[in-house]
Amino acid sequence: MRKTAEIVVIGGGVIGTSIAYYLAKEGRDVVILEKGDLASGSSGACDKAILMQSKKPGIHLELALKSAEIYKTLTDELEYPIEYANDGGMIVIETEEELAVMKQFVKKQREIGLGVELLDGKQARSIQPALADHIIGATHSDQDAQVNPIHATLGFATSAKRLGVEIYQQTEVTGIKVVSGAITAVETTRGQISTRNVVNCTGAYAPFLGRMVGLNIPIRPRRGQIVISEPMPKLIKGDMLSAKYIAAKHNPDIVEKAKDKATQMGIGLSLGQADSGNLLIGASREFVGYDKSTTYEALSAIIQNAIRIIPALKNINMIRNFAGLRPSTMDGLPILGGTELDGYYIAAGHEGDGIALAPITGQFMAEIICQGKSSIDLSLFHISRFDGQK
Amino acid sequence: MTETNKKEVIICRCEDVSEAEIKQAIAEGFTTINAIKKRLRAGMGLCQGRTCQKLVARIIAQETGKSMEEILLPTTRPPVRPIVMGAFEGEDK
Repeated sequence: MRKTAEIVVIGGGVIGTSIAYYLAKEGRDVVILEKGDLASGSSGACDKAILMQSKKPGIHLELALKSAEIYKTLTDELEYPIEYANDGGMIVIETEEELAVMKQFVKKQREIGLGVELLDGKQARSIQPALADHIIGATHSDQDAQVNPIHATLGFATSAKRLGVEIYQQTEVTGIKVVSGAITAVETTRGQISTRNVVNCTGAYAPFLGRMVGLNIPIRPRRGQIVISEPMPKLIKGDMLSAKYIAAKHNPDIVEKAKDKATQMGIGLSLGQADSGNLLIGASREFVGYDKSTTYEALSAIIQNAIRIIPALKNINMIRNFAGLRPSTMDGLPILGGTELDGYYIAAGHEGDGIALAPITGQFMAEIICQGKSSIDLSLFHISRFDGQK
Repeated sequence: MTETNKKEVIICRCEDVSEAEIKQAIAEGFTTINAIKKRLRAGMGLCQGRTCQKLVARIIAQETGKSMEEILLPTTRPPVRPIVMGAFEGEDK
């Protein structure tokens, strides 16, 4: 293994590989350390949506829109088949109550500049013929897109390598050495690398890498279970979410106060179809620590919820299921930027938005690391926003 | 077997992945069953690796010198075979 590096990126998921790629483009000397394989954590256990409609209207959505622009040309830039498509996305509405919430949501999204329209049930079914008859409406945006998250990660990694980045897999970080207020080295299961700069891109595991230097990083793992179907002819166009999912994402109270099990497990539809024809049917949102197992209870609830919205799923086979740990913060926004320890940077806590935000995260983190600041103000994402909170 | 024939040996039948492709991926640094699955889809098809997993493991062992015990996955996940999703209808919510 290498003895020294200018910058050590910890974590070989979509965020770490993206940052390494953009740093290498700036001519920096970068090493990636990954404890498993590339994309073996949450980047390989998630859905494929690059959704604009699910983002919080505000700077979160602004970042996502910038990221979506980069995705449009990323296949050519990385020279890697990341299975990008711009097939739009839909949020389906089942009740008058959800309709009222979504009307407000759409209004705010439009103010930020997202092209989104409200459809009635008939219009929704003309785009997605598989929708159940009881669907009373949907929001739709042409700006929602899709990508294969594993190949996006491998694409960033392959291009980063081409630019000189060295990637060490099956290499776990065991310590970070700090001498008189400055980082001096990263210790791993395969030896030590001298460096002054560390970028923590370890998602749900970021707190462990923070503790190594006495930093408290308030990220919690939130389990998301997903069902995979057998490959099918085209059944679903673009991304599909249920308004219920949006409600649970932006109003955590709903989940906390819920009496029924499905709502407590945060069950809401997220549906997409991969290029291979497999359907990805999600998802749950559960706080159960670092347990990545799938449960019969949640899978059953996910499937029943999906069948209610897409009745044709009844006759389709599940071939697999998995769970990923979404790195979750209290305010639902990622932690981006430097820290009180000189040379220690964090890019983690994207929860379910890591794939969508990976390109812009890579670009802005490279700016912060190389120039000391990014071209747009990211102070809202700085870890100091949690100071004084428990 | 001639070299040309060898290139066409299919290891993952569901996803049509050849021995040569797997060896190429190992050379690129994808040296675990999961890494090869992510790179090439070997084991991602209808049988979920039940046919090819041991074959992939053997090729990794050959190419990297690791033991089969080190390479084979310790856990498997349900379902054991594809199950129609309608079977879950009417379960407790």
